[in-house]
Amino acid sequence: MAGVVVKGRFPRRRLIQVVAANLVRYLFQGAARNWARNIGSTAPALISMTLLLLMSGLIGLTGFTLHNLEQIEASQASLLHIYLRDDAAQEDVAALWKRLAADPRVAGVVYVSKDDALSRAKSIPGLPELAGSTESNPFPASLDVQAKSIDDVAGIDALVRDESVVDPVQPTSYDRGAYQRLQAVLFGIAVAGLAFLGLLGFVAITVTMNSIKAAIHARRDEITIMQLVGAPRWMVRGPFVIEGAITGALAGTVAGLITFALASAAIALGSGSFTQFAPGVTAAVVAVAAGIVLLTGLSLGSGSSLMTLRRHMES
Amino acid sequence: MRPAVELRPIVELTGVTRAYGSRLALDRVDLALHAGELTFLVGPSGSGKTTLLRLINREIRPTSGQVSVAGIAAHELKTSRIAELRRRVGVVFQDYKLLPRLTALENVAFGLQVGDLRVSDEEARDRALDALEAVGLGDRGRAFPHQLSGGQQQRVAIARAVVAQPPVLIADEPTGNLDQDTAWEIMDLFEDIAAWGTAVLVATHNVEIVTRLKRRVVTLVCGRLVRDQPAGQTGRMAWLALS
Repeated sequence: MAGVVVKGRFPRRRLIQVVAANLVRYLFQGAARNWARNIGSTAPALISMTLLLLMSGLIGLTGFTLHNLEQIEASQASLLHIYLRDDAAQEDVAALWKRLAADPRVAGVVYVSKDDALSRAKSIPGLPELAGSTESNPFPASLDVQAKSIDDVAGIDALVRDESVVDPVQPTSYDRGAYQRLQAVLFGIAVAGLAFLGLLGFVAITVTMNSIKAAIHARRDEITIMQLVGAPRWMVRGPFVIEGAITGALAGTVAGLITFALASAAIALGSGSFTQFAPGVTAAVVAVAAGIVLLTGLSLGSGSSLMTLRRHMES
Repeated sequence: MRPAVELRPIVELTGVTRAYGSRLALDRVDLALHAGELTFLVGPSGSGKTTLLRLINREIRPTSGQVSVAGIAAHELKTSRIAELRRRVGVVFQDYKLLPRLTALENVAFGLQVGDLRVSDEEARDRALDALEAVGLGDRGRAFPHQLSGGQQQRVAIARAVVAQPPVLIADEPTGNLDQDTAWEIMDLFEDIAAWGTAVLVATHNVEIVTRLKRRVVTLVCGRLVRDQPAGQTGRMAWLALS
């Protein structure tokens, strides 16, 4: 049989199996076992990270809602309702409609009759009761003018406010500076939210780093042995990164579930009216938010571990 | 039959200086260790023995000079390649450094598997058992460290250090925590390991052992290699007067 090379069956597959089994044992099982053993020192990190992620989830959803509100307000702010007197003559209204339509600042003009205004009001939560409380129709007819720019709304309002066909008591829907005020409030809320999250993030990362530092200290003999027998650097550091990831994933799961539960409950309880206060926040959006919270926890936990290892573990 | 000592050294330090701030721990040290050679490293406390061992294992870099270990230039080795060097150097400590939650067999197998993930459980167990038998603990594999005496724990540590058959073994005060009889047993082991062809370097304060074994003795004083006494000679332990 000279010259015949006999190969073992699936030696490569066998090697891969062995390496995979060792990786699972020394990286993942080792990390999970140590994490469970050190639960006492990990608990503060777990709690602070859960709080951070929960607040992040809720603030994130609030931010999403406010962003949608801002978008709605921006489109509504450039829409000017010119309320018409009930006794205005149709030809006078048509003349005003023509003038407005010819104005270069105007993108479009729509006439809304009293009946249209009433049916529109009935679709708005809270207003059907108001509409039903009187036999007459309290809602005026209007010309809805879509300005090309929010900046032009004031000029259009000034142009029509004193027209004879316009209601002298409530001539238009224009509220000087309302949109700017809203923007300022939203900006303030965003800054406060980010500052709060930043502070919570700092606390959570610091606490997590300390717990990993404690774990490194507690297992310095094991680390020394691994380093001295020639374990690769990633093999020595890997279990700590996985421990951090476990903390982050667990915190993310808890926070994600609470976020999902709270937001779902709010949607269910608020029913119709909630969509007015939280436009765009649907069950799907809440599920995505919960998923993002989970992923954030995972990366926060492993990232904190990596930072600690860079600082506190020698080669 | 004892293998012939190779001409080319396994470990070679050339003009090695190591400073900690303004203090010189090692000062222009030249040293060569060969396969199959048991060498004692002696000197008073703070003379640089541990620093020299740490340089060989690339725990630290020399401030100047060159360190070559089993063909690897340790002085210019990148951090990512340190593990490669350490797989060629077995290390024994004074305090054994065994993992208390693992049995003797698992401690030895652990050292083998984390150093080389390609080693299967069966192979690790077989080789760990062989190593334990070689150090006279073949029947204590299931014992945990706290169930073993100091000498037995040191034997397990030696088994762990040699299980991967490294060409170099360094030991820092391996008998420091042991009584004299046990210390002799450990030294017998080091002689056996050297006889298998390993370059063994033992830092020790144990004068009796160093004197009676008549192996090569390298003496460090204040970071300088002041004497390199070949095997077979008996010299005065001049460093004792300084310690």
